[in-house]
Amino acid sequence: MSLAGKARFQFMKDVGAPALFALNKSAARKKRRPRPANPDFGPPLACAGRLKEIMARHYYLARFAKGARPVAWVTSGAPVELLRAFGYYTIYPENHGALCGAQKMGPELCQAAEEQGFSPDLCSYARVDLGHFFSRKTPAGRLPRPDLLFCSNNICQTVVYWYKVLAHYLKVPLVMFDTPFHFEEFTEADLDYMARQIQEMIPELERHSGRRFDEAYFRSVTQLSRDTSLLWGQCLATMKARPAPMTIFDAFVHLAPVVSLRGLPVAQEYYKILLAELEERAAKGVGALRQEKKRLMWDNIAIWYKVRDFSNLFASRGMNFVVATYTNAWAETIQYLNLDDPFKSVAQTYGLVILNNNLEHRLQLMSQMVKDYAVDGLVLHSARSCKPYSVGQYDLKRLISQRLGIPAVVIEADITDYRMFSEEQAATRLEAFFEALEAA
Amino acid sequence: MTAQPLAIPSRSHYLTAQKERGRKVLGVFPAQYPREILWAHDIAPMEIWDPPLEPGSAPAHLQPYICAVVRQGLELVLRGGAARLDGLLVPHTCDSLQNLASLLNDYLELPVPVLFFYHPKEPFRDSARAYYRRQLTILDQKLAARFGPRREGALEQAVAWGQRVAELAGRTYDLRARGQLSAPALEFYRVLRAGEFLHPEDHIPLLEEFLAVHQGPAPAGPVVLLSGVLPNPKELLSLLDQQGARVGHDDFLGLSRRLLFPASQAADPFDALCEQYFALPPCSTRGSALSQRLDWLKGLAQASGARGVIFYVVKFCEPELFDVPPLMAGLKEQGLATMSLEVELNQGVSGQIATRVEAFLEMLS
Ligand code: SF4
Ligand code: SF4
Repeated sequence: MSLAGKARFQFMKDVGAPALFALNKSAARKKRRPRPANPDFGPPLACAGRLKEIMARHYYLARFAKGARPVAWVTSGAPVELLRAFGYYTIYPENHGALCGAQKMGPELCQAAEEQGFSPDLCSYARVDLGHFFSRKTPAGRLPRPDLLFCSNNICQTVVYWYKVLAHYLKVPLVMFDTPFHFEEFTEADLDYMARQIQEMIPELERHSGRRFDEAYFRSVTQLSRDTSLLWGQCLATMKARPAPMTIFDAFVHLAPVVSLRGLPVAQEYYKILLAELEERAAKGVGALRQEKKRLMWDNIAIWYKVRDFSNLFASRGMNFVVATYTNAWAETIQYLNLDDPFKSVAQTYGLVILNNNLEHRLQLMSQMVKDYAVDGLVLHSARSCKPYSVGQYDLKRLISQRLGIPAVVIEADITDYRMFSEEQAATRLEAFFEALEAA
Repeated sequence: MTAQPLAIPSRSHYLTAQKERGRKVLGVFPAQYPREILWAHDIAPMEIWDPPLEPGSAPAHLQPYICAVVRQGLELVLRGGAARLDGLLVPHTCDSLQNLASLLNDYLELPVPVLFFYHPKEPFRDSARAYYRRQLTILDQKLAARFGPRREGALEQAVAWGQRVAELAGRTYDLRARGQLSAPALEFYRVLRAGEFLHPEDHIPLLEEFLAVHQGPAPAGPVVLLSGVLPNPKELLSLLDQQGARVGHDDFLGLSRRLLFPASQAADPFDALCEQYFALPPCSTRGSALSQRLDWLKGLAQASGARGVIFYVVKFCEPELFDVPPLMAGLKEQGLATMSLEVELNQGVSGQIATRVEAFLEMLS
């Protein structure tokens, strides 16, 4: 890390970025022709602008991070608190993949990876990321090259294979957190193994970052992370109100800080603002939809290139997604985080996330959500990219429909690669689903 | 004169015979599990890799983008395969098998228990070693709770069997690498793969016989390495044999990556199993670094005189498909020729693939 690099980063953080965003804001205000309001929706969330600013600033500052701070690329389920304790600037390739997916750049970047021999059957977050590596294309300006890769297989084994490839190409170290799959019970052996690994990673990270571990600071970051996730959980819980003050399609976007900026004050502050707004809307009966006739649950990651289309389609039917297993994942296990025993409780919090948990857990969780959120129907996105989220969904659909008597539909798609999406097939399935729901 | 193929019973007959002699039989999905612990409990593992079944019930439970190992394994279970077994064991190999384990256990109401085995992934820090040892004892206790305690000395005996199988497999691989094994590839893999269901009491004599019959000069054609999950479709092996090629070595998940390890000298059988697990060749499903796997393949090529590597990958197999492009690039840098084939199990080899393989071999000659 150089002094000049640090000074430049600090300057951009304190002066450059705020000035640039103020300029952009005023230019956008002058240019903006208001988009005609869609009559199916209630008033948009006021803090959406703030969210955009936070995420844009994060990616913007990333360009100056190199040389000022150690930079790590991290998987979405990894215990980032540990990295924060060493001052890492973190980039989440999955979040970047979602961004590319939403901007409909998925196929182009996937193809760049395929041209280098990577199979089109691989997870498209990985292909987008590798495609970015080969082509340097990104809607985020420029991503800083990592000094370290940090990965946990609590979301999938795929990230291990993907990060190994990155480590090989980038010639940077990979720190891996191995989390045994929760098949039936979490044994003491599983917990000890994970807690010990966190302790073993400390000297590794000291070596890689050149900084000493400060346990008190680690605890404070962990506290911040816990508070942020709890706030996010409270935001989601406001959607129990009828009408729900936001849609899951909003939540997919508002999820970004808890994924990418967890453990930083900015994320916590943001969710305070969001929560206040959602509570106010709920109290005043302001819904995301003008008319909320049916309430739905979403399973699996978003279909990023279809978020707007689906949002409009469902809204036109008066159907609102009020809960999703995906958005819930960053709030679900946070109650295990206990500062009296940070290593073991971090292990438990991260070891028990939905994708590292068995399918019986998923069935129970979703059944509870159906009740808590008064859900009328279920949409399962069978994501070709994501085996751990998708294998088991056919039976999940069958069991939830049978036991709870609600209609359910599986849509075959992908998270970012829309070459894998058949409009026709989805439309046919959704039409049948709408009929069943409307007849119920 | 070509030696006759050795006699190996069919899986189905063998399963019946094992039950008749009072052994329990567990169906085991790929790949890595401590078979010695099963043997010690007088349980015969019957591994489920590639049953040749047409799709029937499995597509109602699995998306079409899941690999054939998982799809066909589930098909076997759903067609009543599970009812002939005393249980199923699913090791934690990849995302698809992880969820298959849970699907079998949580949703499908099978008539038999489903056990799960988690083995640590790299990097193997001290915690991983301690954890693996505990996993071994937990599995041992689970089997005891379900099937009764094991006989005194049974685990030591089982470890010795495992080491003997590894030693014999190692010798066959070694002879083949040096061009001193006359067996065609098809017969080599038929005999080695018989260990997927034969008890070591039967597999050890088979391997001994195989060595006795087949020591002798190998065909003088081009030498290739095979890499992937398992040698299926076997028509590719026949094609290599017909072309006079010699398989110098392999790094198949189902074969060398779990068969070849140096015998541990540890007195405690759990310690021995631990040491042997951590001494296995590098493997995508255990999270080995690409540099390790690349060096391993280069070493195999050097030891066997192979000048080309055929990646023979099961379609949709993520652990392998991620590794292939950087491995191919790294091998090419070493002057090795490479080709990659994505295959469906038990579907034969298309004319187009056969032509590609023939051209590849010609280039190596
Ligand atoms: S989409 Fe699924 S497979 Fe891909 S990185 Fe995320 S969790 Fe892993
Ligand atoms: S072939 Fe690959 S994806 Fe399929 S079960 Fe084996 S390791 Fe898993």
